[in-house]
Amino acid sequence: MEYKIKKTKAPGRDEVELLGATFEEGKPEGEDMGKWRQKLDSREERLKYLENGERYFYSQEWFGSEKRKNPA
Amino acid sequence: MAEEKETKSIDQGTLELIEKAAKEGVNTTFDRAESIKACPIGSVGSCCKHCGMGPCRVPLPKGKEETPEDKKKRRGVCGATAETIAARNFIRMIAGGAAAHSDHGRGVAELFLEVAKGGAPGYEIKDEQKLLQVALDLGVEIGERSNNEIAADIGRIALGEYGKQAGELITLRKAPLKRQELWRKLGVAPRGIDREIVEIMHRTHIGVDQDYKSLLKQGVRTALADGWGGSLMATDLQDILFGTPAPILGQANLGVLEEGEVNIIIHGHEPLLSEMIVTVAQEPEMIKLAKSKGAKGINLSGMCCTANEILMRHGVPIAGNFLQQELAIVTGAVDAMVVDVQCIMQSVQTVAECYHTKIITTSPKARIPGATHVEFDEHDALKSAREIVKTAIENFPNRKGNIHIPDNKTDQIAGFSHETINYLLGGMFRASYRPLNDNIINGRIRGVAGVVGCNNARTKHNEAHITMVKELIKNDVLVLTTGCNAIACAEAGLLVPEAAKQFAGKGLAEVCETVGIPPVLHMGSCVDNSRILIAATAMVKDGGLGDDISDLPVAGAAPEWMSEKAISIGQYFVASGVYTVFGVTWPTTGSKEVTDYLFKDMEEMLGGMWAFEPDPIKAAHLMIAHIDKKRKALGIDQARERVLYDMDMRRELDAV
Ligand code: SF4
Repeated sequence: MEYKIKKTKAPGRDEVELLGATFEEGKPEGEDMGKWRQKLDSREERLKYLENGERYFYSQEWFGSEKRKNPA
Repeated sequence: MAEEKETKSIDQGTLELIEKAAKEGVNTTFDRAESIKACPIGSVGSCCKHCGMGPCRVPLPKGKEETPEDKKKRRGVCGATAETIAARNFIRMIAGGAAAHSDHGRGVAELFLEVAKGGAPGYEIKDEQKLLQVALDLGVEIGERSNNEIAADIGRIALGEYGKQAGELITLRKAPLKRQELWRKLGVAPRGIDREIVEIMHRTHIGVDQDYKSLLKQGVRTALADGWGGSLMATDLQDILFGTPAPILGQANLGVLEEGEVNIIIHGHEPLLSEMIVTVAQEPEMIKLAKSKGAKGINLSGMCCTANEILMRHGVPIAGNFLQQELAIVTGAVDAMVVDVQCIMQSVQTVAECYHTKIITTSPKARIPGATHVEFDEHDALKSAREIVKTAIENFPNRKGNIHIPDNKTDQIAGFSHETINYLLGGMFRASYRPLNDNIINGRIRGVAGVVGCNNARTKHNEAHITMVKELIKNDVLVLTTGCNAIACAEAGLLVPEAAKQFAGKGLAEVCETVGIPPVLHMGSCVDNSRILIAATAMVKDGGLGDDISDLPVAGAAPEWMSEKAISIGQYFVASGVYTVFGVTWPTTGSKEVTDYLFKDMEEMLGGMWAFEPDPIKAAHLMIAHIDKKRKALGIDQARERVLYDMDMRRELDAV
């Protein structure tokens, strides 16, 4: 997944990098419709997604509602 | 006559074909359900035939309260009480259901291992993401290893879970921590999948376990081995091989059949062969062959859970659910019906003999006399698939005329796996269940219901499914669906986003509109009920709705259940903390003690319990009442007014 980075001038600072839109523009059609998983294209990205997106099950730090009492 | 016909289905096309069958002298399940009365003693669990001294029938006295003397007499020749008999019958149903799901899972695991070893050409690891996910679940090393190396370890561990003798199933660790502790404390954490099923068969043999509570506890353990073991593994490994479902557009109902094309219906449960048939049916040589026989092309469609599997991954249309299988053949336009295992009526063959349809059995475990058998060989699956598709094409010129395909098909969106729901709610950068939990907490969504299960020829086809689901969504309950309920919902037009506006309550409709989802989410086939367990766990883990599934404002139902698999599913939902309502009939009412244990005591023990209510509106209200009870316990029953504080109000607060 490629990040869209925009460079811009900020008051009191030199150029800063801003993260652009992280959604995809337009409406996916045909083969691609709904196939969100294909956007992850390396093993590293996939593992990162699991740790973050599926943090309920795969993050070291996240135990959600269970964090308060019983870290696994 | 017209009125009598109306009692059989809520679906117009189904009624047209029931009438066509009657005119053509074809006997169907709808006729047999009328001519065969269910045995009143067996149906309430009061008949035992576990030994050669029986069958022993121990019915409740007719038309009067049972006296203590009557009760003493209600025993089998061996002395087994009505309680023991009802509990034995009930858990043997669980054993049957758990065995069916789990043997399906075992078949997938065997193929999976072959694929990893390169011994199953045509198959491949399609979803690396899910592979890594399952590797983490099972503790398989990832590192720089190839997908096939990782998959080989996963396959071996998965197969090992079936024959494991001690310890507990690895996948139980996916459940909320509190739930896992409860299972351990109660001694119901399953050791190995096969072991628990075998132990039911042992305990229910004459003269073994004769304490109904102890029997029912083993039922819980075995059902857990199904839901959190065999079924979950079937779902996960299928996702790795064929792709984790994502939203996809498809169509449903008998109208998906095409008069001018070679119609092949794939019916049953396992996606192993059907995936290959989907590939082969698109091959140019096959299409050319079909055209050479006078057809315009090849039209694949599915039936029952195989339909759900290929719909979710390829958008292949669904021709119908359980009670529509014979009727599809009655159209006169089905050139082949390919079947594997589970929920296939033997009568599809006798109906097929009245038309030109070829029934093709493919599993060595499921043969039907008179049918053509093309055994599925995983080592050369494409060859098996080509033979099947060719047989169908060659049968096209044998059609006998008098074709009637009802003009009914609806659009549907399927493919809501747990992973996809998580992604849809939060996006790629912060996939999350938070928006769902927040909307439950703020009351826009009242709760979540899993409505699943079969059709039952003893009730009007699809009526209870649709009435219940409509009542739930009208009351702002988001519905997750699988199996034949999902197909019924598709046929009734409930699986499209527009249905939210038309049928859902204001709060649920708002959420559906914002996220762009239907009010009823199709999560897959019956082994995919494990996806509902994982979704419920994610809701717990996200926080704000308690610490366990039993704290969540959720409920489950199977309004038209009939199979042993449904009982196993219901029991693992209950054992996971879900209030679960079944319709049609209840198989333990011959024993008040056993029924009370399932309907009341299980709540104290497991936080979830069974209920029976054949009226779908009343059943939906029971579910809503339970959801409200849980909302109250969580303190989210009152809508809290949100007040925006201005500076003066804040100063006032500070002064206090
Ligand atoms: S096991 Fe007991 S109750 Fe069952 S058939 Fe034999 S004698 Fe009758």
